[in-house]
Amino acid sequence: MDFRKFRKRSPWILHYNTGSCNGCDIEILACLAPKYDVERFGILNRGNPKQSDILLVTGPVTKRAKERLLRLYFEMPEPKVVVAVGACACSGGVFRHMYNVENGVDKVIPVDVYVPGCAARPEAIIDGIVRALEILKEKGKEVELPHWCSAQVKPPVNRVKLLDRCLEELHGRR
Amino acid sequence: MGKRITVPFGSQHVALPEPVRFVFQTENEKIVDVEVDVGYVHRGIEKACATKFKYMQVGYVVARVCGLCAISHTLGYVTALERLMGVEVPKRALYLRLLVSELDRIHSHLLAMGHTAEVAGYENLFMQTFRHRELVMEMLELLTGNRVQFDFACPGGVNRDLTPEVEKVLREKLKVLEEKALWLRDVYENDFSLTLRWKGTGVVTEEMAKEMNVVGPPARAAGLKTDVRAEFDYLPFKEVGYRMVVLKGGSIYERNLVRALEVLNSIEMCWNILDGLPEGDIKVPVKGLPEGEMFVRIEAPRGELFYYIRGSKKLILDRVRIRVPTFANIPVMKELFVGMDYADVPATVISFDPCLSCTAR
Repeated sequence: MDFRKFRKRSPWILHYNTGSCNGCDIEILACLAPKYDVERFGILNRGNPKQSDILLVTGPVTKRAKERLLRLYFEMPEPKVVVAVGACACSGGVFRHMYNVENGVDKVIPVDVYVPGCAARPEAIIDGIVRALEILKEKGKEVELPHWCSAQVKPPVNRVKLLDRCLEELHGRR
Repeated sequence: MGKRITVPFGSQHVALPEPVRFVFQTENEKIVDVEVDVGYVHRGIEKACATKFKYMQVGYVVARVCGLCAISHTLGYVTALERLMGVEVPKRALYLRLLVSELDRIHSHLLAMGHTAEVAGYENLFMQTFRHRELVMEMLELLTGNRVQFDFACPGGVNRDLTPEVEKVLREKLKVLEEKALWLRDVYENDFSLTLRWKGTGVVTEEMAKEMNVVGPPARAAGLKTDVRAEFDYLPFKEVGYRMVVLKGGSIYERNLVRALEVLNSIEMCWNILDGLPEGDIKVPVKGLPEGEMFVRIEAPRGELFYYIRGSKKLILDRVRIRVPTFANIPVMKELFVGMDYADVPATVISFDPCLSCTAR
């Protein structure tokens, strides 16, 4: 059976705040609430990475949230899509080049959809999520690695070892 | 007793909207020790304000400290700057600032109440609260042009005037909101299962509140008469019918009830502002360079917000110091947790309405 057809019917969301001002986070919450209601796309917000398909990241990724973000990314099963919500998640925004930030989510993990705006409007977030669903439909089971990671992956993938390898490289980079 | 078990809570957790980390040491269900870590979202805004941005830009940067109380942060900074440079702000601008700050308080309080209902397992009430909160967001969007980051106040006044068409819509929406807020107050006060869950859980006594320097709605719920709106004169609150809401008890139930009552008071203040809005300019030019130091206290939705700025006749300020309400509330949270059941923790944390991006900056 082709699961691709059904995959986009009930994607679950994992939301992580990597140092944003909470503005985008409350807009994501507003998306889940009655007026904008993303549940009509079968979307539920679950705080569990192991059950989620879409990772919504807000914030410019602080130095401490970096490792957590990578961990969450590797805990999510394939296929998965990453949506960077807000100006600071896309490029760093107003926090760009402050001493404790990484200037955007794509410096740490691969990003599929960028949602601009400070704070991103709920309509824009919904648009981003719907685009992410299209990408989710096309994606396969291959493991995606961050652009800075030089590890080679062959199936079957040992996630624990892969995460260790990536973390080592991340800390080496620092 | 059984042996100790370590339970991590955060930085990413189902019940938490924000990255704070608690590490609980538990014996059976009881918590015996707790460690708090708030530094996950530290970005270095204070440093950037004193090195990278000019003094006229800092207001827009500090708004990004927190999206929930964005107007409070801008207000704190611009008030301090205006007092330092001796700028006389037009009356109309002050009232418009007051209007936005009260609307902001309403949406923040409704958010906190909705969250508490959600972690108590009452998802329906969470959705209802958020539904009514959208009314406030629409009003803020009409008034300021953006839903969350308003950038409304600027040194010398406000950036956008209130037009008669907008005022008309605001009045209509405010009327609906008042009805809904009354209904919400009723539910949060009288709902049987919520009362059962919240009354007597996470109690902050008055002595505790005084000793640990609790601020904002948690302090007023404990019976402590503290509100910067009454103590520090930064906006004309007394003229628009401000009343302090103080309750006895100090549990999660009272904290939410204080918020519900403050929402009603804020709506009343909004009515008064719309009725008696003075005519005139909304902005005066700010000239010169800041010299000297100044501090300002602001009542943000979560409690006392403190701003300190120092300049020495340069375009870039020497120091901007921000002390936020959640930072003051964390010691009492830590004290509360010891001896509490682990099952009560999410509700207690959320009922303090912690804002971590404020705390870590």
